Amino acid sequence: MTAWVSVLTISVALFLVGAFYLVVINMDGLLEEFGQDLTVTAYLEDHLTVQEMAGLAETVQSIEGVASVSVVGKEEALERFKEMTGGASLLVGIQGNPLPASFEMTLRPESRSAAGISILETATQGLPGIDEVRHGQEWIDGYARVASLVRVSGYVVGLVLSLATLLIVANTIQLGLYARRDELEILQLVGASRTFVRTPFLLEGTLQGMLGGLLASGLLWISFMIFTPSLEYGLAFLLGQAEPRFFGLAQISRLVMGGAVLGLVGSVAALMDRRS
Amino acid sequence: MGVVLDPEKSRGSGKFHPRGDYPVRMFHVSKSYSPGTWALQDVSLEVGRGQFLFVTGQSGAGKTTLLELLFAAERPNEGQILVLGRNIARLRGGAIPALRRRVGVVFQDFKLLPNRTVEENVRFTLDVLGTPRREARSRVFNTLRQVGLQHRRYDQPKALSGGEQQRVAIARALVGDPEILLADEPTGNLDPELSVEIIELMIAAARRGTTVIVATHDISLVQRYGMRNIRLEGGRLLEESQEGTPS
Repeated sequence: MTAWVSVLTISVALFLVGAFYLVVINMDGLLEEFGQDLTVTAYLEDHLTVQEMAGLAETVQSIEGVASVSVVGKEEALERFKEMTGGASLLVGIQGNPLPASFEMTLRPESRSAAGISILETATQGLPGIDEVRHGQEWIDGYARVASLVRVSGYVVGLVLSLATLLIVANTIQLGLYARRDELEILQLVGASRTFVRTPFLLEGTLQGMLGGLLASGLLWISFMIFTPSLEYGLAFLLGQAEPRFFGLAQISRLVMGGAVLGLVGSVAALMDRRS
Repeated sequence: MGVVLDPEKSRGSGKFHPRGDYPVRMFHVSKSYSPGTWALQDVSLEVGRGQFLFVTGQSGAGKTTLLELLFAAERPNEGQILVLGRNIARLRGGAIPALRRRVGVVFQDFKLLPNRTVEENVRFTLDVLGTPRREARSRVFNTLRQVGLQHRRYDQPKALSGGEQQRVAIARALVGDPEILLADEPTGNLDPELSVEIIELMIAAARRGTTVIVATHDISLVQRYGMRNIRLEGGRLLEESQEGTPS
Protein backbone atom coordinates (compact mmCIF):
# COMPACT_ATOMS: atom_id res chain seq x y z
CA MET A 1 0.00 0.00 0.00
CA THR A 2 2.70 2.49 1.01
CA ALA A 3 4.57 1.51 -2.14
CA TRP A 4 1.62 2.65 -4.26
CA VAL A 5 1.48 5.95 -2.41
CA SER A 6 5.07 6.56 -3.52
CA VAL A 7 4.30 5.54 -7.09
CA LEU A 8 1.23 7.80 -7.26
CA THR A 9 3.02 10.75 -5.65
CA ILE A 10 5.90 10.49 -8.09
CA SER A 11 3.51 10.11 -11.02
CA VAL A 12 1.49 13.21 -10.04
CA ALA A 13 4.66 15.30 -9.71
CA LEU A 14 6.05 14.03 -13.00
CA PHE A 15 2.67 14.51 -14.69
CA LEU A 16 2.72 18.23 -13.85
CA VAL A 17 6.36 18.64 -14.79
CA GLY A 18 5.72 16.61 -17.95
CA ALA A 19 2.76 18.83 -18.89
CA PHE A 20 5.03 21.91 -18.81
CA TYR A 21 7.64 20.03 -20.75
CA LEU A 22 5.06 19.06 -23.37
CA VAL A 23 4.02 22.69 -23.89
CA VAL A 24 7.66 23.76 -24.14
CA ILE A 25 8.66 21.15 -26.71
CA ASN A 26 5.65 22.10 -28.83
CA MET A 27 6.53 25.80 -28.66
CA ASP A 28 10.17 24.96 -29.40
CA GLY A 29 8.99 22.85 -32.31
CA LEU A 30 7.23 25.84 -33.82
CA LEU A 31 10.30 28.02 -33.36
CA GLU A 32 12.40 25.40 -35.03
CA GLU A 33 9.97 25.07 -37.91
CA PHE A 34 9.95 28.81 -38.52
CA GLY A 35 13.65 29.01 -37.93
CA GLN A 36 14.30 26.71 -40.85
CA ASP A 37 12.35 29.03 -43.15
CA LEU A 38 13.80 32.17 -41.69
CA THR A 39 15.71 34.21 -44.23
CA VAL A 40 17.14 37.70 -44.01
CA THR A 41 17.14 39.66 -47.22
CA ALA A 42 19.72 42.31 -48.05
CA TYR A 43 18.70 44.51 -51.00
CA LEU A 44 21.58 45.65 -53.15
CA GLU A 45 22.24 48.97 -54.76
CA ASP A 46 21.60 49.02 -58.47
CA HIS A 47 25.04 50.08 -59.63
CA LEU A 48 26.88 46.93 -58.51
CA THR A 49 28.66 44.92 -61.17
CA VAL A 50 28.52 41.12 -61.17
CA GLN A 51 32.07 40.96 -59.81
CA GLU A 52 31.28 43.42 -57.02
CA MET A 53 28.17 41.42 -56.18
CA ALA A 54 30.19 38.18 -55.98
CA GLY A 55 32.76 39.84 -53.73
CA LEU A 56 30.06 41.24 -51.49
CA ALA A 57 28.36 37.82 -51.31
CA GLU A 58 31.66 36.33 -50.08
CA THR A 59 31.95 39.02 -47.42
CA VAL A 60 28.38 38.41 -46.23
CA GLN A 61 28.95 34.63 -46.21
CA SER A 62 31.85 35.13 -43.78
CA ILE A 63 29.65 36.99 -41.24
CA GLU A 64 29.04 35.03 -38.06
CA GLY A 65 25.71 33.22 -37.99
CA VAL A 66 25.21 33.14 -41.74
CA ALA A 67 24.57 29.63 -43.01
CA SER A 68 24.14 30.39 -46.73
CA VAL A 69 23.85 33.28 -49.12
CA SER A 70 21.96 33.04 -52.36
CA VAL A 71 22.01 35.83 -54.89
CA VAL A 72 18.69 36.87 -56.43
CA GLY A 73 19.39 38.95 -59.52
CA LYS A 74 17.15 41.76 -60.76
CA GLU A 75 15.65 39.53 -63.47
CA GLU A 76 14.87 36.74 -61.05
CA ALA A 77 13.29 39.23 -58.65
CA LEU A 78 11.06 40.44 -61.45
CA GLU A 79 10.07 36.89 -62.37
CA ARG A 80 9.21 36.12 -58.76
CA PHE A 81 7.17 39.31 -58.54
CA LYS A 82 5.25 38.37 -61.64
CA GLU A 83 4.58 34.92 -60.26
CA MET A 84 3.41 36.29 -56.94
CA THR A 85 1.11 38.91 -58.45
CA GLY A 86 -0.19 36.64 -61.20
CA GLY A 87 1.02 38.78 -64.09
CA ALA A 88 2.72 42.01 -64.92
CA SER A 89 -0.28 44.35 -64.79
CA LEU A 90 1.13 46.26 -61.82
CA LEU A 91 4.28 47.00 -63.81
CA VAL A 92 2.44 48.50 -66.75
CA GLY A 93 3.74 51.96 -67.39
CA ILE A 94 6.95 51.44 -65.43
CA GLN A 95 10.08 51.74 -67.46
CA GLY A 96 12.71 48.97 -67.12
CA ASN A 97 13.05 46.73 -64.03
CA PRO A 98 12.49 48.65 -60.78
CA LEU A 99 13.24 45.68 -58.50
CA PRO A 100 16.67 45.51 -56.84
CA ALA A 101 18.94 42.47 -56.77
CA SER A 102 19.27 40.93 -53.32
CA PHE A 103 21.06 38.41 -51.08
CA GLU A 104 18.89 35.88 -49.28
CA MET A 105 20.69 34.75 -46.18
CA THR A 106 19.75 31.72 -44.12
CA LEU A 107 20.91 31.56 -40.51
CA ARG A 108 22.74 28.94 -38.51
CA PRO A 109 20.45 27.33 -35.86
CA GLU A 110 22.17 29.16 -32.98
CA SER A 111 21.52 32.53 -34.64
CA ARG A 112 17.82 31.97 -35.33
CA SER A 113 16.68 34.55 -32.81
CA ALA A 114 16.00 38.25 -32.70
CA ALA A 115 19.47 38.79 -31.29
CA GLY A 116 21.05 36.76 -34.08
CA ILE A 117 19.07 38.65 -36.70
CA SER A 118 19.98 41.97 -35.14
CA ILE A 119 23.71 41.11 -35.21
CA LEU A 120 23.40 40.16 -38.86
CA GLU A 121 21.48 43.32 -39.67
CA THR A 122 24.12 45.51 -38.04
CA ALA A 123 26.94 43.66 -39.77
CA THR A 124 25.40 43.85 -43.24
CA GLN A 125 23.75 47.24 -43.07
CA GLY A 126 26.96 49.17 -43.22
CA LEU A 127 28.56 47.23 -46.04
CA PRO A 128 29.09 49.28 -49.21
CA GLY A 129 26.64 48.17 -51.89
CA ILE A 130 23.91 47.10 -49.49
CA ASP A 131 20.89 49.31 -49.53
CA GLU A 132 18.54 47.80 -46.97
CA VAL A 133 18.16 44.71 -44.79
CA ARG A 134 14.77 43.15 -43.97
CA HIS A 135 13.55 39.97 -42.27
CA GLY A 136 9.89 40.51 -41.42
CA GLN A 137 9.79 38.01 -38.51
CA GLU A 138 9.71 40.42 -35.56
CA TRP A 139 7.17 38.23 -33.69
CA ILE A 140 9.75 35.47 -33.23
CA ASP A 141 11.54 37.17 -30.38
CA GLY A 142 8.34 37.66 -28.34
CA TYR A 143 7.30 34.11 -28.99
CA ALA A 144 10.73 32.81 -27.97
CA ARG A 145 10.42 34.84 -24.77
CA VAL A 146 7.07 33.23 -23.96
CA ALA A 147 8.52 29.79 -24.66
CA SER A 148 11.46 30.59 -22.42
CA LEU A 149 9.09 31.80 -19.66
CA VAL A 150 7.10 28.57 -19.90
CA ARG A 151 10.36 26.61 -19.75
CA VAL A 152 11.63 28.48 -16.68
CA SER A 153 8.22 28.10 -14.99
CA GLY A 154 8.46 24.40 -15.74
CA TYR A 155 11.88 24.26 -14.07
CA VAL A 156 10.63 26.11 -10.99
CA VAL A 157 7.45 24.03 -10.70
CA GLY A 158 9.53 20.89 -11.35
CA LEU A 159 12.00 21.80 -8.63
CA VAL A 160 9.34 22.61 -6.03
CA LEU A 161 7.33 19.50 -6.89
CA SER A 162 10.46 17.35 -6.86
CA LEU A 163 11.36 18.55 -3.36
CA ALA A 164 7.81 17.94 -2.12
CA THR A 165 7.81 14.53 -3.79
CA LEU A 166 11.15 13.66 -2.22
CA LEU A 167 9.74 14.39 1.23
CA ILE A 168 6.64 12.29 0.58
CA VAL A 169 8.64 9.44 -0.95
CA ALA A 170 11.11 9.52 1.94
CA ASN A 171 8.23 9.38 4.39
CA THR A 172 6.43 6.53 2.65
CA ILE A 173 9.69 4.59 2.50
CA GLN A 174 10.16 5.30 6.20
CA LEU A 175 6.72 3.80 6.75
CA GLY A 176 7.87 0.78 4.77
CA LEU A 177 10.98 0.56 6.95
CA TYR A 178 8.82 0.79 10.05
CA ALA A 179 6.51 -1.95 8.79
CA ARG A 180 9.54 -4.17 8.27
CA ARG A 181 11.42 -3.18 11.42
CA ASP A 182 11.32 -6.74 12.82
CA GLU A 183 12.83 -8.10 9.65
CA LEU A 184 15.49 -5.37 9.66
CA GLU A 185 16.32 -6.05 13.30
CA ILE A 186 16.75 -9.77 12.64
CA LEU A 187 18.80 -9.06 9.52
CA GLN A 188 21.15 -6.95 11.62
CA LEU A 189 21.31 -9.59 14.35
CA VAL A 190 22.31 -12.34 11.92
CA GLY A 191 25.05 -10.13 10.52
CA ALA A 192 23.61 -8.60 7.37
CA SER A 193 25.89 -5.87 6.06
CA ARG A 194 24.59 -2.36 5.58
CA THR A 195 24.58 -2.88 1.82
CA PHE A 196 22.61 -6.12 2.17
CA VAL A 197 19.98 -4.37 4.29
CA ARG A 198 19.80 -1.19 2.22
CA THR A 199 19.97 -2.44 -1.33
CA PRO A 200 16.40 -3.84 -1.46
CA PHE A 201 15.02 -0.52 -0.20
CA LEU A 202 17.05 1.48 -2.70
CA LEU A 203 15.97 -0.82 -5.54
CA GLU A 204 12.38 -0.62 -4.37
CA GLY A 205 12.49 3.20 -4.31
CA THR A 206 14.08 3.33 -7.76
CA LEU A 207 11.54 0.88 -9.17
CA GLN A 208 8.65 2.81 -7.62
CA GLY A 209 10.06 5.98 -9.21
CA MET A 210 10.31 4.32 -12.63
CA LEU A 211 6.74 3.06 -12.32
CA GLY A 212 5.67 6.58 -11.34
CA GLY A 213 7.42 7.93 -14.45
CA LEU A 214 5.68 5.37 -16.68
CA LEU A 215 2.33 6.11 -15.08
CA ALA A 216 2.88 9.86 -15.56
CA SER A 217 3.76 9.28 -19.24
CA GLY A 218 0.60 7.20 -19.68
CA LEU A 219 -1.56 9.84 -17.98
CA LEU A 220 0.01 12.57 -20.10
CA TRP A 221 -0.66 10.60 -23.27
CA ILE A 222 -4.30 10.00 -22.30
CA SER A 223 -4.71 13.70 -21.43
CA PHE A 224 -3.01 14.66 -24.69
CA MET A 225 -5.39 12.47 -26.71
CA ILE A 226 -8.47 13.71 -24.85
CA PHE A 227 -7.73 17.42 -24.61
CA THR A 228 -5.85 18.21 -27.82
CA PRO A 229 -8.96 18.12 -30.08
CA SER A 230 -11.03 20.25 -27.72
CA LEU A 231 -8.24 22.81 -27.37
CA GLU A 232 -7.70 23.09 -31.10
CA TYR A 233 -8.39 26.84 -31.26
CA GLY A 234 -6.08 27.73 -28.38
CA LEU A 235 -3.40 25.44 -29.70
CA ALA A 236 -3.65 26.97 -33.15
CA PHE A 237 -2.98 30.35 -31.54
CA LEU A 238 0.04 28.95 -29.69
CA LEU A 239 1.40 26.69 -32.33
CA GLY A 240 0.21 28.21 -35.59
CA GLN A 241 0.12 25.66 -38.33
CA ALA A 242 2.38 23.24 -36.46
CA GLU A 243 0.75 19.93 -35.43
CA PRO A 244 0.70 19.32 -31.66
CA ARG A 245 3.12 16.52 -30.94
CA PHE A 246 3.57 14.13 -28.02
CA PHE A 247 6.82 12.99 -26.41
CA GLY A 248 9.18 10.74 -28.29
CA LEU A 249 10.91 7.75 -26.73
CA ALA A 250 13.81 9.94 -25.52
CA GLN A 251 11.53 12.30 -23.59
CA ILE A 252 9.52 9.42 -22.07
CA SER A 253 12.82 7.85 -21.01
CA ARG A 254 13.74 11.16 -19.35
CA LEU A 255 10.48 11.18 -17.38
CA VAL A 256 11.01 7.56 -16.30
CA MET A 257 14.63 8.26 -15.36
CA GLY A 258 13.47 11.39 -13.48
CA GLY A 259 11.09 9.16 -11.52
CA ALA A 260 13.88 6.69 -10.83
CA VAL A 261 16.11 9.47 -9.48
CA LEU A 262 13.27 10.81 -7.28
CA GLY A 263 12.62 7.32 -5.92
CA LEU A 264 16.29 6.61 -5.33
CA VAL A 265 17.04 9.93 -3.63
CA GLY A 266 13.87 9.57 -1.52
CA SER A 267 15.01 6.12 -0.38
CA VAL A 268 18.51 7.37 0.43
CA ALA A 269 17.01 10.24 2.46
CA ALA A 270 14.74 7.80 4.33
CA LEU A 271 17.62 5.47 5.14
CA MET A 272 19.88 8.34 6.23
CA ASP A 273 17.12 9.65 8.47
CA ARG A 274 16.66 6.19 9.99
CA ARG A 275 20.39 5.94 10.60
CA SER A 276 20.47 9.27 12.42
CA MET B 1 36.34 -5.18 42.15
CA GLY B 2 34.78 -8.17 40.47
CA VAL B 3 36.13 -11.66 40.52
CA VAL B 4 38.89 -12.19 37.98
CA LEU B 5 38.60 -15.75 36.94
CA ASP B 6 41.62 -17.93 36.79
CA PRO B 7 42.20 -18.76 33.14
CA GLU B 8 43.68 -22.12 34.06
CA LYS B 9 40.52 -22.94 35.97
CA SER B 10 38.30 -21.72 33.16
CA ARG B 11 40.11 -23.70 30.54
CA GLY B 12 38.52 -27.00 31.39
CA SER B 13 39.57 -30.32 30.02
CA GLY B 14 41.27 -28.88 26.97
CA LYS B 15 39.47 -31.36 24.79
CA PHE B 16 37.45 -28.71 22.96
CA HIS B 17 39.57 -25.67 23.65
CA PRO B 18 43.31 -26.20 23.44
CA ARG B 19 45.54 -23.79 25.36
CA GLY B 20 44.99 -20.20 24.22
CA ASP B 21 41.88 -20.95 22.15
CA TYR B 22 39.31 -18.69 23.78
CA PRO B 23 36.60 -17.36 21.45
CA VAL B 24 35.42 -15.11 24.30
CA ARG B 25 37.70 -13.07 26.55
CA MET B 26 36.66 -10.16 28.75
CA PHE B 27 39.19 -8.08 30.72
CA HIS B 28 37.90 -5.80 33.49
CA VAL B 29 34.84 -4.86 31.50
CA SER B 30 32.40 -2.23 32.77
CA LYS B 31 29.27 -0.95 31.09
CA SER B 32 27.08 1.95 32.16
CA TYR B 33 23.92 3.24 30.48
CA SER B 34 23.64 6.28 32.72
CA PRO B 35 26.21 8.08 34.89
CA GLY B 36 26.70 6.54 38.30
CA THR B 37 24.95 3.24 37.60
CA TRP B 38 26.72 0.19 36.29
CA ALA B 39 25.03 -2.56 34.31
CA LEU B 40 28.32 -4.46 34.43
CA GLN B 41 31.30 -3.66 36.56
CA ASP B 42 34.85 -4.97 36.27
CA VAL B 43 33.97 -8.33 34.80
CA SER B 44 36.76 -10.59 33.55
CA LEU B 45 35.99 -13.90 31.91
CA GLU B 46 37.34 -16.41 29.43
CA VAL B 47 35.29 -19.04 27.66
CA GLY B 48 37.01 -21.74 25.63
CA ARG B 49 36.07 -23.31 22.32
CA GLY B 50 33.29 -25.87 22.71
CA GLN B 51 32.67 -24.82 26.29
CA PHE B 52 29.16 -24.41 27.72
CA LEU B 53 28.63 -21.61 30.20
CA PHE B 54 25.53 -20.63 32.14
CA VAL B 55 25.30 -16.98 33.22
CA THR B 56 22.89 -16.73 36.12
CA GLY B 57 21.50 -13.91 38.20
CA GLN B 58 18.31 -12.05 39.03
CA SER B 59 16.60 -9.71 36.59
CA GLY B 60 18.77 -6.61 36.18
CA ALA B 61 21.93 -8.43 37.26
CA GLY B 62 23.61 -7.67 33.93
CA LYS B 63 23.15 -10.99 32.06
CA THR B 64 21.60 -9.41 28.97
CA THR B 65 24.19 -6.62 28.94
CA LEU B 66 26.97 -9.21 29.04
CA LEU B 67 25.50 -11.02 26.02
CA GLU B 68 24.83 -7.76 24.17
CA LEU B 69 28.47 -6.80 24.60
CA LEU B 70 29.50 -10.12 23.09
CA PHE B 71 27.60 -9.61 19.84
CA ALA B 72 28.50 -5.92 19.68
CA ALA B 73 24.98 -4.63 20.28
CA GLU B 74 26.65 -2.52 22.99
CA ARG B 75 30.19 -1.26 23.60
CA PRO B 76 31.97 -1.39 26.94
CA ASN B 77 32.78 1.85 28.77
CA GLU B 78 35.87 0.30 30.29
CA GLY B 79 37.96 -2.80 29.72
CA GLN B 80 38.55 -4.93 26.65
CA ILE B 81 36.45 -7.66 25.06
CA LEU B 82 37.90 -10.07 22.54
CA VAL B 83 35.34 -12.09 20.60
CA LEU B 84 36.86 -14.46 18.05
CA GLY B 85 39.99 -12.33 18.24
CA ARG B 86 38.19 -9.06 17.47
CA ASN B 87 38.26 -6.24 20.00
CA ILE B 88 34.64 -5.19 20.53
CA ALA B 89 35.63 -1.84 22.05
CA ARG B 90 37.51 -0.90 18.89
CA LEU B 91 35.32 -2.64 16.32
CA ARG B 92 34.24 -0.26 13.57
CA GLY B 93 30.57 -0.24 12.49
CA GLY B 94 31.30 -1.95 9.19
CA ALA B 95 33.08 -4.87 10.89
CA ILE B 96 30.16 -5.73 13.20
CA PRO B 97 28.12 -7.66 10.59
CA ALA B 98 31.14 -9.82 9.78
CA LEU B 99 31.52 -10.70 13.46
CA ARG B 100 27.81 -11.41 13.88
CA ARG B 101 27.88 -13.86 10.99
CA ARG B 102 30.10 -16.01 13.23
CA VAL B 103 27.92 -15.63 16.31
CA GLY B 104 24.42 -17.14 16.66
CA VAL B 105 21.98 -15.41 19.01
CA VAL B 106 18.77 -16.82 20.55
CA PHE B 107 16.29 -14.54 22.32
CA GLN B 108 13.67 -15.17 24.93
CA ASP B 109 10.99 -13.70 22.62
CA PHE B 110 12.27 -15.81 19.68
CA LYS B 111 12.26 -12.87 17.21
CA LEU B 112 10.72 -14.93 14.41
CA LEU B 113 8.96 -13.31 11.47
CA PRO B 114 5.30 -14.27 11.78
CA ASN B 115 4.46 -14.02 8.09
CA ARG B 116 7.31 -16.27 6.94
CA THR B 117 7.44 -20.05 7.09
CA VAL B 118 9.70 -21.89 9.50
CA GLU B 119 12.02 -22.71 6.61
CA GLU B 120 12.21 -19.06 5.51
CA ASN B 121 12.89 -17.91 9.07
CA VAL B 122 15.80 -20.31 9.39
CA ARG B 123 17.10 -19.57 5.88
CA PHE B 124 17.41 -15.88 6.76
CA THR B 125 20.86 -16.49 8.25
CA LEU B 126 22.06 -18.31 5.15
CA ASP B 127 20.69 -15.59 2.84
CA VAL B 128 22.88 -13.12 4.70
CA LEU B 129 25.86 -15.47 4.41
CA GLY B 130 25.25 -15.69 0.65
CA THR B 131 24.80 -19.47 0.70
CA PRO B 132 23.59 -20.80 -2.69
CA ARG B 133 19.85 -21.61 -2.64
CA ARG B 134 20.22 -25.33 -3.19
CA GLU B 135 22.81 -25.73 -0.43
CA ALA B 136 20.75 -23.47 1.84
CA ARG B 137 17.68 -25.70 1.41
CA SER B 138 19.56 -28.80 2.43
CA ARG B 139 21.30 -27.08 5.38
CA VAL B 140 17.99 -25.68 6.63
CA PHE B 141 16.43 -29.14 6.37
CA ASN B 142 19.30 -30.77 8.27
CA THR B 143 19.24 -28.14 11.00
CA LEU B 144 15.48 -28.41 11.36
CA ARG B 145 15.94 -32.17 11.65
CA GLN B 146 18.47 -31.59 14.47
CA VAL B 147 15.83 -29.62 16.38
CA GLY B 148 13.09 -32.10 15.39
CA LEU B 149 11.05 -29.72 13.28
CA GLN B 150 11.70 -30.78 9.70
CA HIS B 151 8.03 -31.77 9.34
CA ARG B 152 6.90 -28.25 10.28
CA ARG B 153 9.12 -26.39 7.81
CA TYR B 154 6.26 -25.01 5.72
CA ASP B 155 4.24 -23.85 8.73
CA GLN B 156 4.22 -20.29 9.99
CA PRO B 157 5.51 -19.65 13.53
CA LYS B 158 2.04 -18.82 14.87
CA ALA B 159 1.00 -22.42 14.17
CA LEU B 160 3.80 -23.64 16.48
CA SER B 161 3.94 -24.01 20.26
CA GLY B 162 6.31 -21.84 22.33
CA GLY B 163 8.84 -24.65 22.59
CA GLU B 164 8.71 -25.26 18.86
CA GLN B 165 9.15 -21.57 18.14
CA GLN B 166 12.22 -21.48 20.37
CA ARG B 167 13.60 -24.51 18.54
CA VAL B 168 13.13 -22.62 15.25
CA ALA B 169 15.04 -19.69 16.75
CA ILE B 170 17.83 -22.06 17.78
CA ALA B 171 17.84 -23.60 14.30
CA ARG B 172 18.18 -20.09 12.83
CA ALA B 173 21.11 -19.38 15.16
CA LEU B 174 22.80 -22.71 14.40
CA VAL B 175 22.21 -23.09 10.66
CA GLY B 176 25.14 -20.82 9.82
CA ASP B 177 27.42 -23.08 11.89
CA PRO B 178 28.45 -20.28 14.29
CA GLU B 179 31.57 -20.44 16.42
CA ILE B 180 29.68 -18.92 19.34
CA LEU B 181 26.04 -19.36 20.36
CA LEU B 182 24.55 -16.81 22.76
CA ALA B 183 21.14 -17.40 24.28
CA ASP B 184 19.30 -14.88 26.46
CA GLU B 185 16.75 -16.63 28.69
CA PRO B 186 15.96 -19.14 25.95
CA THR B 187 13.70 -21.13 28.29
CA GLY B 188 12.09 -18.12 29.95
CA ASN B 189 8.69 -18.73 28.39
CA LEU B 190 8.76 -22.50 28.39
CA ASP B 191 7.63 -25.23 30.78
CA PRO B 192 10.33 -27.35 32.46
CA GLU B 193 10.14 -30.25 29.98
CA LEU B 194 10.56 -28.00 27.00
CA SER B 195 13.35 -26.12 28.78
CA VAL B 196 15.33 -29.35 29.08
CA GLU B 197 14.77 -30.04 25.40
CA ILE B 198 16.10 -26.60 24.45
CA ILE B 199 19.18 -26.79 26.71
CA GLU B 200 20.03 -30.21 25.33
CA LEU B 201 19.99 -28.84 21.81
CA MET B 202 22.54 -26.26 22.90
CA ILE B 203 24.67 -28.79 24.69
CA ALA B 204 24.68 -30.78 21.44
CA ALA B 205 25.96 -27.66 19.66
CA ALA B 206 28.74 -27.31 22.25
CA ARG B 207 29.71 -30.94 21.66
CA ARG B 208 30.18 -30.07 17.99
CA GLY B 209 32.65 -27.35 19.03
CA THR B 210 30.45 -24.25 19.35
CA THR B 211 31.10 -22.08 22.39
CA VAL B 212 27.72 -21.72 24.10
CA ILE B 213 26.79 -19.02 26.61
CA VAL B 214 23.28 -19.18 28.08
CA ALA B 215 21.88 -16.48 30.34
CA THR B 216 19.17 -17.77 32.66
CA HIS B 217 17.62 -17.06 36.04
CA ASP B 218 16.48 -20.69 36.28
CA ILE B 219 18.86 -22.13 38.91
CA SER B 220 17.22 -25.56 38.77
CA LEU B 221 18.19 -25.86 35.15
CA VAL B 222 21.81 -24.99 35.96
CA GLN B 223 21.89 -27.46 38.82
CA ARG B 224 20.41 -30.19 36.65
CA TYR B 225 23.31 -30.10 34.20
CA GLY B 226 26.19 -29.19 36.46
CA MET B 227 27.83 -27.13 33.75
CA ARG B 228 30.24 -24.30 34.35
CA ASN B 229 28.30 -21.25 35.49
CA ILE B 230 28.92 -17.73 36.67
CA ARG B 231 26.62 -15.60 38.79
CA LEU B 232 26.10 -11.88 38.29
CA GLU B 233 24.67 -9.57 40.87
CA GLY B 234 24.27 -5.82 40.42
CA GLY B 235 26.57 -6.01 37.42
CA ARG B 236 29.38 -7.72 39.31
CA LEU B 237 30.61 -11.21 38.73
CA LEU B 238 30.27 -12.84 42.13
CA GLU B 239 31.12 -16.47 41.81
CA GLU B 240 31.89 -19.21 39.44
CA SER B 241 31.02 -22.83 39.82
CA GLN B 242 33.21 -25.70 38.72
CA GLU B 243 32.96 -25.90 34.99
CA GLY B 244 31.45 -28.69 33.05
CA THR B 245 32.42 -29.14 29.47
CA PRO B 246 29.99 -31.34 27.55
CA SER B 247 31.43 -34.71 26.78
